[in-house]
Amino acid sequence: MTRRLQLMSGLIAATLVSAGAPAIAETLTVMTAGDQNMVDYVNEYLAPKFEADNPGVTVQAVGTGPGDAGSQMIYERLSASAGAGAQADVDVAVVHQKMAGQMVNEDLLASYRGDIDTGSLVSRETADNALGTNVHGYVMPMFHSQTAIAYNPALVESPPKTYDELVTWVKDHSGQFGYNGIKGGMSGVSFVMGWMYAFTDDAKQLMNGPFDASISSDWADALAKLKDFNQNVVFTPGNAGTLDMLNRGEIAMGPVWVDMFYTWQSDGRLSPDLKLALIGPGMPGQPMYYVVPASAPNKDMAEKFIAMATTPDVQAEGIVKRFNWYPGIDAQYVQSKLDPETWNKLFTDVTPDDLATKGKPFPIASYFDEILEAYEKNVTN
Amino acid sequence: MRLAEAWRWLPRAIVLALLFFVIFGPIANMLLWTVAEKWYFPHKLPLEYGFAYWQRVFAPRGGAIESLVNSAMIACGTVVLSLAMAVPAGYALARLRLPMRGLLMLVFLMPQAFPNLPVYINIARLFYGFGLNGTYVGVILVHTTHGLMYAVWIASAAFAALDRELEEAARNIGAGPVRTFLTISLPLAAPGILASAIFVFLESLDEFTGTFFVGAPVVKTLPLLLYTATAGGNYQIASITALILLVPSIAFMFVVERFIRADVLARVGR
Amino acid sequence: MRQRLLGFALVFPALATIVLLFAFPLTYSIAGAFRAEGVWTLANLAKAYDLYRSDIVFTFLIVGVSALLIASFSIAIGGYLTLGSSPTAISALRWLYRWPLFIPFIVAGQLMRTFLAKNGLMNNVLTEVGLLTPIQTVSFLDWRGIVITFVWKQTPFVALLVAGAMASLDRSMIEAARNLGASGPRILFEIVLPQVRQTLLVGIILSFVIMLSVLSVPMMINAQSPTMITANMAFRINAYGDYGVANALGLISCVMTGAISWIYLRYGIREGGRP
Repeated sequence: MTRRLQLMSGLIAATLVSAGAPAIAETLTVMTAGDQNMVDYVNEYLAPKFEADNPGVTVQAVGTGPGDAGSQMIYERLSASAGAGAQADVDVAVVHQKMAGQMVNEDLLASYRGDIDTGSLVSRETADNALGTNVHGYVMPMFHSQTAIAYNPALVESPPKTYDELVTWVKDHSGQFGYNGIKGGMSGVSFVMGWMYAFTDDAKQLMNGPFDASISSDWADALAKLKDFNQNVVFTPGNAGTLDMLNRGEIAMGPVWVDMFYTWQSDGRLSPDLKLALIGPGMPGQPMYYVVPASAPNKDMAEKFIAMATTPDVQAEGIVKRFNWYPGIDAQYVQSKLDPETWNKLFTDVTPDDLATKGKPFPIASYFDEILEAYEKNVTN
Repeated sequence: MRLAEAWRWLPRAIVLALLFFVIFGPIANMLLWTVAEKWYFPHKLPLEYGFAYWQRVFAPRGGAIESLVNSAMIACGTVVLSLAMAVPAGYALARLRLPMRGLLMLVFLMPQAFPNLPVYINIARLFYGFGLNGTYVGVILVHTTHGLMYAVWIASAAFAALDRELEEAARNIGAGPVRTFLTISLPLAAPGILASAIFVFLESLDEFTGTFFVGAPVVKTLPLLLYTATAGGNYQIASITALILLVPSIAFMFVVERFIRADVLARVGR
Repeated sequence: MRQRLLGFALVFPALATIVLLFAFPLTYSIAGAFRAEGVWTLANLAKAYDLYRSDIVFTFLIVGVSALLIASFSIAIGGYLTLGSSPTAISALRWLYRWPLFIPFIVAGQLMRTFLAKNGLMNNVLTEVGLLTPIQTVSFLDWRGIVITFVWKQTPFVALLVAGAMASLDRSMIEAARNLGASGPRILFEIVLPQVRQTLLVGIILSFVIMLSVLSVPMMINAQSPTMITANMAFRINAYGDYGVANALGLISCVMTGAISWIYLRYGIREGGRP
């Protein structure tokens, strides 16, 4: 009995002692939403580089999970610490567009883009506009991602080029197309958004605003068509679910994130024979942003880190070469740093022309929510 | 004689084989993924085997070993704290006639009865206010609020099922209430209480969300390290994580079993 | 009176932990369920009912079916471990049944996804062995997959509790019944089960609570309608930032659990104070 007591009190003492352990000085904390490759990117590439340039600094990365759920967790952490009047625990966060907009609206972020020299290297609208919220100065795009339809060439002789062609194909091949609806993953959501762009006349207003709730009455036809379309599809559990079913040959086509698609292929979870097609009039894509919390403990170092991560060299080597992502800063600065072969690998299935014409932004936040609500009310119910 | 024995074994063997398939089928799936480097349709088994993902998990920067040790230590701390509070509470709820006993029992169910997702933002704020964010004590406290459900309910059931005659006999020969508790009640209820320890340990070991909101980035546990990969469909890493977590879980189970004399594990109910 | 004070003192640390660290933040959430746009309202509950009522029923049915299956299997496993005649089979069973306990829910969800799919491992094995043709294979990735995952994961939990309770019963009664010629199942249902009933109920209620609160399993196996309440809560928060309806759904889930537990506790109390 005494032996057990000793063991237990030892354990209690050990844990209590370590409870008061202070954080290591000069640690830069990076919290990133998104897939594991985002965490790996920091751990395997950015962190060693930064630590080599700044001796005495350690970089630690924390992943919060894929999709908007991951960004939501970062937002909740920042909101909680701000609400309690405490300092944030995060120096650099990598979040999706929707959450970045919300964080700016709630004054959780610091404006830093003007302070770093790479800030001038990005001129795309996505650096200033996050789904309708003005985020100028608060964000730097890390990379741009795009959704497209992945298909199995063995089962799909001629892939559809537009949403209309897709509808016809799915009618003739029931059960061969899969997507995750609007729950569980953004690939399905982006498919639905693309559907709205294709089958309503409001595409421009959806993307740019202004917000006018009354136009949702125009959507009845498109939604009814979607409900009809859903009779012939298979529903997957999420982004990974769609890729999963493509992997096992249970579906022949489905919307996927281009970067996730390439990652799964290189990780051996997807057959190398599968291909991508970006269908017209367009499918959405979005950047992920580097942001700095307003009360970050090491703000200067955070800015230095982001500045390093958005230099053309790092974008070329890290973003494009290693991960097959479209760069965050303007393409021309990055292209000059790479050999043509690597650059063109980005565009094997989806050409720069495709991207320019059919790569669309998501609708502005208020329409985003409206469309999701309309889907829930009219398509699933 | 031998034939009759063999005959009797047939239904047993079939049921056991079926059970084996049902239990180990998914686990075999997991084991295959831990060593699969390439596996896609139409191949029924992995194309390429290898330990590349083990290297990824145990990359020096990742700190997988440190995280594993942290997870195990936090789990042990949670077990100790939960039991320390649950044993007296369970005894009181089972034996001493408390008013609103039902309500109190329901209170202990609450942390798991209300799905935690919307609550964590408020819990995080509270912990920031107390200065418990980023500390091991904070994380242990969060795990304990969940562990108390198992510990209190099972301890309460264990104490309630004790034979009161034994306790009364001890009191009749002059033992005080504390002595009776320590020498009669507690040892008899111990197997059930220690069974609950296993569940508290397992729950703490796998906990992600609470640990993230209260502990990250200072406190590094294995679920924190590998959650993103697991949730994102990286089967290789998910399976390796599960395999690694098996080690402290089974070790803890062995340790607990040694404290119990009976050769079948829990004696909840006596 | 002194006993009451003592009782409260003993319960106090555990109670204080829960109240301070959970109940207090929870009140914000529950209050949030009744607030929308700055006013007190039932609109969130109405919306939750409106959009998700089929999911609420679905959740209850799934968890109910799972609980029944878990109870049956646990009784069977516990019964065999206690009353079984072959020591080898007993040891084999004892070694076998505990493994799913150690696999976290999130991993179990993943594994089941690749195991139960149309071209998943299970169907592949059955096709190889010749029991099925590829055309006949069926995907279990819907409500059945969720039930299977829950039953797979929670049965060892309840079985552990039940087997232990059965093992510590007085064997003389069982032996006497055996000598009188009663069959195994009869002894199980008429002698053993009534005595371990309360442990079984505790196990089932805890399983109920756990199953109602798991998010990873429905997300991984079937996030489409109909799905479980937790998946919808996650969707409301992550897609709309709508904590109001999410909290309303949480409240509904909590009420479900509370109702079931309350029935047990009332029943237990009527039995004279034994839980």
